[in-house]
Amino acid sequence: MQHLHDLTIKKFHDGLLKKEFSALEITQEFFDWIGKKDSEINAYLSLNKDLAVRQAEETDLKIAKNEPVGMLSGVPLAIKDNMLIEGLPATAASKILKDYTASYDAAVIKRLKNSGAVFLGKTNLDEFAMGSSTENSAFQITKNPHDISRVPGGSSGGSAAAVAAHMAVAALGSDTGGSIRQPAAFCGVVGLKPTYGAVSRFGLIAMASSLDQIGPFAKTVEDAAILFKGLAGQDPMDSTSSPQAGCYGEELLNPKLENIKKLKVGIPEEYFVEGLDKEVAKKVEEAIQAIKSLGLEIKKISLPHTKYALSCYYIIMPAEVSSNLERFDGIRYGTRQKADNLLELYKKDREMGFGSEAKRRILLGTFVLSSGYYDAYYAKAQKVRQLIKKDFYEAFEEVDVILTPVAPTPAFKIGEKANDPLSMYLSDVFTIPVNLAGLPAISIPAKSSGGLPIGFQLIGKKWREQDILGIGQYYEKL
Amino acid sequence: MMNKKDLEHLAELARIDLKAGEEKKLQKDLGAILDYFKELQELDTENVDPMAGGTDLKNVVREDVAGTADNTGKGPEQFPDKQGGFLKVPPVF
Repeated sequence: MQHLHDLTIKKFHDGLLKKEFSALEITQEFFDWIGKKDSEINAYLSLNKDLAVRQAEETDLKIAKNEPVGMLSGVPLAIKDNMLIEGLPATAASKILKDYTASYDAAVIKRLKNSGAVFLGKTNLDEFAMGSSTENSAFQITKNPHDISRVPGGSSGGSAAAVAAHMAVAALGSDTGGSIRQPAAFCGVVGLKPTYGAVSRFGLIAMASSLDQIGPFAKTVEDAAILFKGLAGQDPMDSTSSPQAGCYGEELLNPKLENIKKLKVGIPEEYFVEGLDKEVAKKVEEAIQAIKSLGLEIKKISLPHTKYALSCYYIIMPAEVSSNLERFDGIRYGTRQKADNLLELYKKDREMGFGSEAKRRILLGTFVLSSGYYDAYYAKAQKVRQLIKKDFYEAFEEVDVILTPVAPTPAFKIGEKANDPLSMYLSDVFTIPVNLAGLPAISIPAKSSGGLPIGFQLIGKKWREQDILGIGQYYEKL
Repeated sequence: MMNKKDLEHLAELARIDLKAGEEKKLQKDLGAILDYFKELQELDTENVDPMAGGTDLKNVVREDVAGTADNTGKGPEQFPDKQGGFLKVPPVF
């Protein structure tokens, strides 16, 4: 256990090369610790001991033979349970996929397997990644490791909690409207949502395809950069993955301070409004001052359409959800009910299989796409989305990076917002605009001397992860 | 508040049976969410191009060459009900 608390990808790799420990020893230590700790936190939905041991042994064999190993070789990771690993369950925390076993590897899993990474298990989430607290899981409620009466955030709450409670060195999540960044902020870890098109979604159970991106959770910004580099790349199996995804350079991992200092940081006035928790405002202001002390110029900017982003998102996302979730009908996979005819079967499977938030979003999406309402809702939202994107692009003519809070409050209590969908939706108000515009953004824990974790967000230009990761790496060293 | 008939129509389109207790809450929640959306009507979007999707890529195609998948035959293993390797479903009518 002494290792696990301060183990990062970097330290693990160095220790492995120096033969301070083997990959197998660390993997087993993680399983022992998960066995003790996770009954309290509930981060994992399933563990993967057999495959993990084999994966760790492969790395150890290479070390024994003095073969070269990459940065991710042998690194024990947690994977959100909406990504497919061949032969393992992939439930998306939904009853309708309770008995489903993945028949192929997601593109990110294939990449990580080729890098030699170890998968400890699959982590809890809001059903189909729909939620901001992980309370919408059909199976269990994950607790925030900093205060178990509070939520870990969501939807990737299991992955965030696993890293925060030292039950994995790092983890994968997916982010459609904040599902990596908000739980990272609530749990005091780093979370990166990459540029739309940087990471293949092949083998990710789709929620809203024009917004979904896979990204890393880690203990340090440096680790997030290492893991992101391992995930990014064009994939012919995801037509939205871009040729530029293969062009990330060394600057991602080894940023130069002289370049970072030249960046201009914008502070959008629309993100510092009434309703922002006082402690959050204070910590974010301290982060601004810290970054200023590195020598970066700070500038006030405006993103005038920010207040419309939530409405815009809650039209576009459910529209895509209603379409993406059509395939879950219990016919070819998943859990099937008994019925006399096909139509009745569809309806019963979906009634029994989906939880209330999934149903709410499917119905909402069906409504905004339905005849007579399409123009007033969906077509309007697509235009508003253009305005929100334009705001960012105009701001990026003046600045290189935008700094904001991640969430309006620190982690809230379990049950506090469970019955009021609108107040739950509002906890993503600062993360949603980034997905609408397809930009990269990172959530970094603000330095603190106790209390609940609070994160700040750095938003970058498209394909400029190196700017936000670079500032983050120097902030971390302060 | 969304009216009951509209909700039932949506549920029919979405192929979901609703439980008796669920309807009231959905009518209330969906009504409140749709009310919230009204703020979008303040915006003049007359000359704005819609942003359809998240990518700027156009006409993404690949070479039309035959390949082999490494997971052939894995799908049927997941069928909830089957007979002789075929997917089994209840009668259509």
